[in-house]
Amino acid sequence: MTDHSADPGFEEAARPPRSQWRDVWDQFKTHKGALLGAGFFLFVVVAVMIGPWLWPIPYDAIDIRARNQGPSLAHPFGTDQLGRDMLARMLKGGQTSVAVGIAAMALSLFFGTLVGVLAGYFKRLDGPLMRFTDLFLALPLLPLLLVIIMLFRDPLRAAFGPETGIFILIVFVIGITSWMQTARIVRGDVLALKEREFVLAARSIGTPDRRMITRHLLPNVLSPIMVSATLGIANAIITESALSFLGLGFPSDFPTWGRLLFDATDYLQQYPERVIWPGLAISLTVLAVNYIGDGLRDALDPRIRGR
Amino acid sequence: MLDAAAPPKKIVEVRDLKMHFPIHAGVFRRRVGEVKAVDGVSFDIHEGETLGLVGESGCGKSTCGRAILRLYDITEGSVVIDGREIGHIPQKELRPLRPRMQMVFQDPQASLDPRMTVAAIIGEPLVEHTGLSRDARLERIYELMDAVGLNRNFANRYPHEFSGGQRQRIGIARALALNPKFIVCDEPIAALDVSIQAQVVNLLEDLQKRLGLTYLFISHDLSMVRHIASRVAVMYLGKVVELAPRDDLYETPLHPYTQALLSAVPDPDPASAEKVKRIILQGDVPSPANPPKGCNFCTRCPRVMPVCHHEEPAFTEVAPGRFVACHLHDGTKIPEAPAAAAADQQGDAT
Repeated sequence: MTDHSADPGFEEAARPPRSQWRDVWDQFKTHKGALLGAGFFLFVVVAVMIGPWLWPIPYDAIDIRARNQGPSLAHPFGTDQLGRDMLARMLKGGQTSVAVGIAAMALSLFFGTLVGVLAGYFKRLDGPLMRFTDLFLALPLLPLLLVIIMLFRDPLRAAFGPETGIFILIVFVIGITSWMQTARIVRGDVLALKEREFVLAARSIGTPDRRMITRHLLPNVLSPIMVSATLGIANAIITESALSFLGLGFPSDFPTWGRLLFDATDYLQQYPERVIWPGLAISLTVLAVNYIGDGLRDALDPRIRGR
Repeated sequence: MLDAAAPPKKIVEVRDLKMHFPIHAGVFRRRVGEVKAVDGVSFDIHEGETLGLVGESGCGKSTCGRAILRLYDITEGSVVIDGREIGHIPQKELRPLRPRMQMVFQDPQASLDPRMTVAAIIGEPLVEHTGLSRDARLERIYELMDAVGLNRNFANRYPHEFSGGQRQRIGIARALALNPKFIVCDEPIAALDVSIQAQVVNLLEDLQKRLGLTYLFISHDLSMVRHIASRVAVMYLGKVVELAPRDDLYETPLHPYTQALLSAVPDPDPASAEKVKRIILQGDVPSPANPPKGCNFCTRCPRVMPVCHHEEPAFTEVAPGRFVACHLHDGTKIPEAPAAAAADQQGDAT
């Protein structure tokens, strides 16, 4: 069992340690769902980034005579009640939705992980940080959003222009109201990891706290962070649509997937396909991201890798 | 192995080491008491020897080992390692001293980071304490893997791909990486099955001979300690009750607890096993949060005397190199003769 010298399987010469990311990629490739998800997500991102340049009809061109049309060659996704091309609006809306989703997820993830790791690792910070987290969880979200947007909308618009200003505001608002779950999960995991012997072993080597966190703790809490991240993108896209619907987000004539969805609900009975397009786009993107997260989580865990 | 004629250099001196963990309770998490895991332990370890530290579960062996390496902030006492007092210096100043003292852990599964390759695990101390280049580091990692008998091709593998014995070898290689002088082996064989135990113990002995290491070998396996240790300390409820050269301790144990402990060791020879009278201790170990007054062992001692209930026995040298903390041996200070007589008497009694 431990006599390895006679094992013929290990004849190859000692090779330098492979980069871990090669292993991760090799494993990721074996996860079909993840590959498919990654492919689709990439497709969506590329489509919304360069699509509006390629599709000849601008998203805000009103053609009132061609309103409420079903799918046709001229308008593959149909047109809305003002005769605006749905495909163009979907592409343009996707830009905002995907960007908001990714940016807000990154912000909430960063903040949640930071708070979680600090609270879990440093005992003195645990109480204050977790009470702070509880405070955020207890805040009534909508009044808070109203206040934030009332206070900051105009200064941000003035500083960055109407669209970028609102974008920053929305990302920030979604980010700071959705980090709490991540923080709690990460703190719990760090508390458990901290008591494991390998952390003690690292301490006996003299590893300072900073590197203890980056070398031992963060890689080991990657799984819950990954799950939070994938759910976070979905959550951010949906929250952004809700905000737009309430009139707190982007201006009403500025398309986002959520905005299109809510606009279309008025015509649900007559033109159901108008709900289906943005709904499908949101669900499929979220699904794709979830699959990517699943594959990444497996690929990053050496115990699952190579199985 | 170690003759008394030329007293070797002391590499570790522990004096009155205390490690108390606070107990918090109630709504306001007030401090209501403390667990006296290690409560006044003193011993020396000489260069090149192995000091066995034995005792039952929960008596403070592991805590003692960790406290010596300052993995905990000790409550009281002093620890001198290699001539340097480290008992109360801050962790920052301790860091440059870490390479001299290392530890092998009990659970080889838990003591290796599951997300790091073997090369990264063994290389971690090198990254922290040496400025070696990538290639030089890899060379050293391979050297260490050779030293502990691991195939070099395993460098890219992860801990879960190994058997228990191999994992423990990884742990040993990591402890050796910085050429330490002193290694605390915290029950390194407790989690392994018997055939692998022998391999690991032989490896430890072999490394000791080659590299001139000094071990503090913590274990509850008395036979294994007899095999590897040159001197043995017996702990009970946070205190060392007896410390003696190995052969003396196993031949003529002085403390009633040591006697009971040794009588519980199974004898492979049925003929002689029948003759051995087992000393069965009554009752449970008292809580280290609330140890009994007087001698810690007074609640279970088969030879308890009135004095034991109110006076704590001193840890005294009753014969050269033999220390015991028991009122039975109060009168027997060195000179040699009475101590030997007492030992004989003791031997008869058991």
